[in-house]
Amino acid sequence: MNALIGRHRGLLALAARESDRVLKLWSQTIVAPVLAAFLFIVVFGLSLGGRIRELGGVEYEVFIVPGLIAMAMAQAAYSNNSSSVFQARSDRYINDVLSAPMRPWEVNLGLAFGGIVRALAIGVSLLVLALVVTDVPVRHPFALALALGILLVLFASLGVVVGVYAETWDQHGFVNNIVILPLSFLGGVFYSVDVLPSPWQEISHVNPIFFLINAVRYGFLGTSDVPVGIALAVTAGLALVCVAWSATMFRSGHRLKA
Amino acid sequence: MPNALSIRGLTKRYDDSRRDRRRRRQPPGTGGFLAVHDFDLEIEAGSFFGLLGPNGAGKTTIISAVCNLIRVTAGEIDVFGEPHDALHARRIVGLAEQDVNLDRFLDVEETLLFHGGYFGMSRAEARRRAGEMMDVFDLRAKAGVRAPKLSGGMRRRLLLARALMHEPRLVILDEPTAGVDFELRLELWRYIRRLHDQGTTILLTTHYLEEADELCEEIALIRDGRLIARDTADGLRTLYNADSLADAYVRAMGSLSSG
Repeated sequence: MNALIGRHRGLLALAARESDRVLKLWSQTIVAPVLAAFLFIVVFGLSLGGRIRELGGVEYEVFIVPGLIAMAMAQAAYSNNSSSVFQARSDRYINDVLSAPMRPWEVNLGLAFGGIVRALAIGVSLLVLALVVTDVPVRHPFALALALGILLVLFASLGVVVGVYAETWDQHGFVNNIVILPLSFLGGVFYSVDVLPSPWQEISHVNPIFFLINAVRYGFLGTSDVPVGIALAVTAGLALVCVAWSATMFRSGHRLKA
Repeated sequence: MPNALSIRGLTKRYDDSRRDRRRRRQPPGTGGFLAVHDFDLEIEAGSFFGLLGPNGAGKTTIISAVCNLIRVTAGEIDVFGEPHDALHARRIVGLAEQDVNLDRFLDVEETLLFHGGYFGMSRAEARRRAGEMMDVFDLRAKAGVRAPKLSGGMRRRLLLARALMHEPRLVILDEPTAGVDFELRLELWRYIRRLHDQGTTILLTTHYLEEADELCEEIALIRDGRLIARDTADGLRTLYNADSLADAYVRAMGSLSSG
């Protein structure tokens, strides 16, 4: 064990640095997104819950919890890593890491770690708060863990990729505001696509976040708009693409090294 | 003992990606900006070596290539006989860059501790060495202060302390005294000299010719990514029939532009 730690001290230090950054900025990195998602549960769930009795066989305030947790975690994993990597490139302190005796995959994994820590902190906090105000169950813990694991890999890697490509803060924010957030809302966070008329129901199936939200919802509620195997396979496929993209960049030094 | 640094045929052409070449319809090895061309340099272990040249001469490119911060177009680089990209070779090189590139989220002590971790030091080892570095560079009182809140001089000291944190055998200092006041410059000189006396190989780039004259045992003059001359400060003065290193430098650069 000691030999293993000794061989990967660089990775451990980088992962610790990324986690340290999340914890130092806790009010911005953890409290703010938890509060925003919790307000959605309270305002939408408890107020609209009086009008929309049930959706997919569960109470409305319970129905929206899985999607809101998934959305908050995805945004956190992505935005943490894209901003951390972009800042490190912009201020050039990433050179301290790039010149260090670390393997490319260690640098990649170390930089991705902060987003995973942040997303988990948000996910756990939201789940605890949701349990206080709703009766959200966890029907399939293994499927939920798998879905959240894939979510973390997908968005942590995407964040690193965008952090490496971004030239300005606007570009880093663009993917979050113009891609992740709208696709999350349209992916069935607040509704079941079964209630949509054609062709919107079919169009929803080209939204990758729709599959992610349904995989997470299945883990919590045991219901999903698509078979859970398909939902997991689609998100795992996307995660693989992002991991491969990110790994290729770190192996070749593309955009990291002139 | 192998040389501390051995550079053979180093060429670096920026903006030379396959996509860039395709866009310009240029064959490999052409187009872009040629920063360094077929550059050779051998630096003996334990020496104090200066690299002088005007802005854009290729000094930082050479240093970045040695420290794996850029992708070289061609050539080979060995550090103490090992390829520069090998993990062990990276562990024995320390770099203080020209720009103050300190992690804005870390305080002085954390900057040193995390750097130690990146370079494979155990927590206990890093703590001991960080304490030593903070004492040497008079940073102890600022241990808990984040980099952006430090004065310019303090940041320079921290940059140097970080480069030396993992006890490298080859220390590369890219304009370490740029923009610092006279007192701090003398202080840094004293420390760099002491480091060299302890057997550390030092590669220094600077625009201050008196600094190179004062510190370096041997100096290479480069321009447009090519080596023009290499000798001791006295040797360069003799070679260019000059009274001072500054005159020798001006003549060397002038002879090239007029030639």
